[in-house]
Amino acid sequence: MLEVSQLQASYGPLQVIWGVSLHVEQGEFVALIGPNGAGKTTTLRAIMGLVKPLSGTIAFNGQTLNGLKANQITRKGISFVTEDLDLFDGMTVHDNLILGAFSLHDRAQVEGTLESVYDLFPILAERHRQLAGTLSGGERKMLAIGRGLMLSPSLILVDEPSLGLAPKLVLAVFEALKQLHERGSTILLVEQNVYTTLHMTNRAYVLENGQVVMEGPSSDLLRNEHLQRTYISMGAAGEGGFPAPADGGGPAL
Amino acid sequence: MTDVTQTNQTDSSPTRSIWPTVWRWLQDSPIQPVAWPLLAILLLLPVVFRDAYLHRLLAASLLFGAQAMVFDFTGGYINAVNFGFAAFVGLGAYTSGLLAVNAGISPWIGMPAGALAAGLVGFITGALTLRLRGVYVSIMAWFVGLALMAVTYAMVGLTRGAQGINVPYLLETPDTLPYYYILLGMTVVIYVVLRLVIHSRVGLAFKAIGQNFEAARASGVDPTRYKLINFTLSCACAGLLGGFYAHFVGVLTPGMMVTDNTIEVMALSYIGGTGTLLGGLVTAFLITPLFDYLKGLMEIRLIIYGMLLILTMILYPAGLDGLFQWLVGRIKGRQKQG
Amino acid sequence: MNLTVLWNLLVTGILRGGLYALMAGGLALLFGVMNICNFAHGELFVVGAYVAYFAYVTFGLPPLLAILIAAGASFLVGALLEKSLILPLRRRSKGEWIMNTFLLTSGLSVVMQNTAQRVWGVRYRGITQYWAGTIRITPTMSVAVDRAVAFLIAVVGITGFWLFLRRTNVGRAIRAVSQNETGAMLVGIDLDNIQTLTFALGSMLAGLGGASMLSLIPAYPFAGGKPNITSWFVVTVVGLGNVSGSIVGGFIVGLVESFAFFYLGSGWQDVFSLGVIILILLVKPSGLFGSEVKGVLER
Repeated sequence: MLEVSQLQASYGPLQVIWGVSLHVEQGEFVALIGPNGAGKTTTLRAIMGLVKPLSGTIAFNGQTLNGLKANQITRKGISFVTEDLDLFDGMTVHDNLILGAFSLHDRAQVEGTLESVYDLFPILAERHRQLAGTLSGGERKMLAIGRGLMLSPSLILVDEPSLGLAPKLVLAVFEALKQLHERGSTILLVEQNVYTTLHMTNRAYVLENGQVVMEGPSSDLLRNEHLQRTYISMGAAGEGGFPAPADGGGPAL
Repeated sequence: MTDVTQTNQTDSSPTRSIWPTVWRWLQDSPIQPVAWPLLAILLLLPVVFRDAYLHRLLAASLLFGAQAMVFDFTGGYINAVNFGFAAFVGLGAYTSGLLAVNAGISPWIGMPAGALAAGLVGFITGALTLRLRGVYVSIMAWFVGLALMAVTYAMVGLTRGAQGINVPYLLETPDTLPYYYILLGMTVVIYVVLRLVIHSRVGLAFKAIGQNFEAARASGVDPTRYKLINFTLSCACAGLLGGFYAHFVGVLTPGMMVTDNTIEVMALSYIGGTGTLLGGLVTAFLITPLFDYLKGLMEIRLIIYGMLLILTMILYPAGLDGLFQWLVGRIKGRQKQG
Repeated sequence: MNLTVLWNLLVTGILRGGLYALMAGGLALLFGVMNICNFAHGELFVVGAYVAYFAYVTFGLPPLLAILIAAGASFLVGALLEKSLILPLRRRSKGEWIMNTFLLTSGLSVVMQNTAQRVWGVRYRGITQYWAGTIRITPTMSVAVDRAVAFLIAVVGITGFWLFLRRTNVGRAIRAVSQNETGAMLVGIDLDNIQTLTFALGSMLAGLGGASMLSLIPAYPFAGGKPNITSWFVVTVVGLGNVSGSIVGGFIVGLVESFAFFYLGSGWQDVFSLGVIILILLVKPSGLFGSEVKGVLER
């Protein structure tokens, strides 16, 4: 579905990505992990057209994305939940979500999607008249994901959703993503929380210094020694690590 | 002004050339190297063009150019576009003019008084707005300028309002040439003072930090203080030039403070290249005589100014200075090859 | 002061207030959404005035149609200016964007004023009234129909504009762009189109003002100067980018101006207004209701 080939890109004047290739197939939940500054966010931004690649190709369902503007890429069915969330703080939760469907014209479909988003995140339904700027951190993450879902996207890119959240909330957010995947969404997730991420996802790429140094099924990577030493804390399973998320209803906040 | 190294190592002459030392001194001094040839040209122009009419033209160009230089001191160096600039010039003019007419004070004292008045108003304006973003400074300066103009119109008892006032001339002679050289002297002094401030420790620190306020404060530089000095000095110089204008032209009306006049000066400064001081000066000498030569264009002078300003901003933001630098780069490149 | 005088001052004040509300609203929109300081706003007012004049006087069209055409023309001119000047500036702008727009539009204002002078001369092109008649409320208080309708048009314009921003999809998109450009892109909004639309909209409001006030302010090349100054006055006092505040502020300024003119005369009225703004900026530089949203202080 998504094919990135030999991508080279800069963050401002500095080149940070040196030939990254990855692919995401329909229905997969793929992770992009690695240390800070590895170029993970820049990779997502390049896919989304927010950053112009120096070279390399990005293709989605056979169509080239290179050179398209971000809003055009959105209309192809890709949603991007950024690290900053980029919400419309001065507007209500409801308006933020409605705007998520800006490019769609089928009002009935939009209503239906809105319902399912409220279903997934009941807290948003509760606060639907509240201004986005007044929500708590976790609620804002939910809103950002929810807005991204309004597109009924074929592919969802999520950038470090756990950042700045208390562990309980991180759990809830991951739970939501897992549910989305189970309902059939294709997700490319950038995260620094390696342990849980590898538990949730099918496959993962490890990015270091702008290059892919490792890739493969998540279960394999979990057992990898280098990863264990570098990213996963000692005594991962209990201490500080996250237990495998339980199934259940919507996340409680 | 970048690379300095001259390849004199291969010079086989026995005496060591002094040129590298001279060149380096030129580069390091606060005076931009190009100022020297420019000064020479300006000194000699009236000698080359002996016609009295041309002398008036040169004086007018110099007056415009000096204003553009003073304007650029804030616009190009602290990102504060003084949108009330013409009013500060007018304030200096009226101060000096009224002192001469009402109190018989010599213009040689009146002109500095005008500088003082303008500097004071500039100081207050700057103190209020310079810690805010650039646009607020411009708007505030604009409103101050409008207020100054309105006051000048309104205080009819003092200024005779729209009728204007007649002001004694600086010199006895009707000849323009002495005025030109006096103005040139003033311009040189202003230029040196401005460059000294830019090149001062605070000025260089300010420039190096590139207006990043956090970094500035961290290294102990108070950016607002520097901006205030800069802005006040610019307004004071504007007032000084205004004082000269009063005793050069001999007639003052409040209309001289109108915003259009600020835009003219601003256009010169931008077309010449911001942050160069001399760019606007050179541009004034190119454009003013040209407009006079093409008599018909005087009418749509403002249209052309406006369009040049717009075009410069969209197509070639570096202005004439950019062109100049490009030429210098090409010449240097060819020198290296030869 | 007797009732007639008071009444007339109120009428004049509210009428002018409507004009200022229209124009200040447009100006605030431009800053709020596009971070543009439009110094040529007054010239769009003049565009509306000239088009309305020619439509009404030269072509003999009915007043409402003339005004509508003028508004449409201003819209188009605004769109044209945005695509030909603002867009390239956006692509190539180095350094402070806001200052650049200020400078570009002031150059534009000069060009437009003097081009108009070249083409149409300095002659005042005004009308005595669009509609004849007076509305008599009491024996001493009356309002010319012309003035009343002009006011109504301004109000309709403002209301329509407001509803457009609040209720329509496109209006919501405009507000979205003003709050978060990246977010707007991510939901599929085309920034370039929205910005052209916004500029055209702001221009249309100014043009509507010029057209509807033709009986008060004739069309001539420099007619835009005073409206421009006053719009900027309102927008700065209220706080750059605050659209609703600017609309309210416009009415207040219209009234204050009217009374100040009466008590102080035209010369000192200007000084008074400017003195007020200087005082306000002294105390609260970001304006009375200045939003911290766009960032007032140097970073």
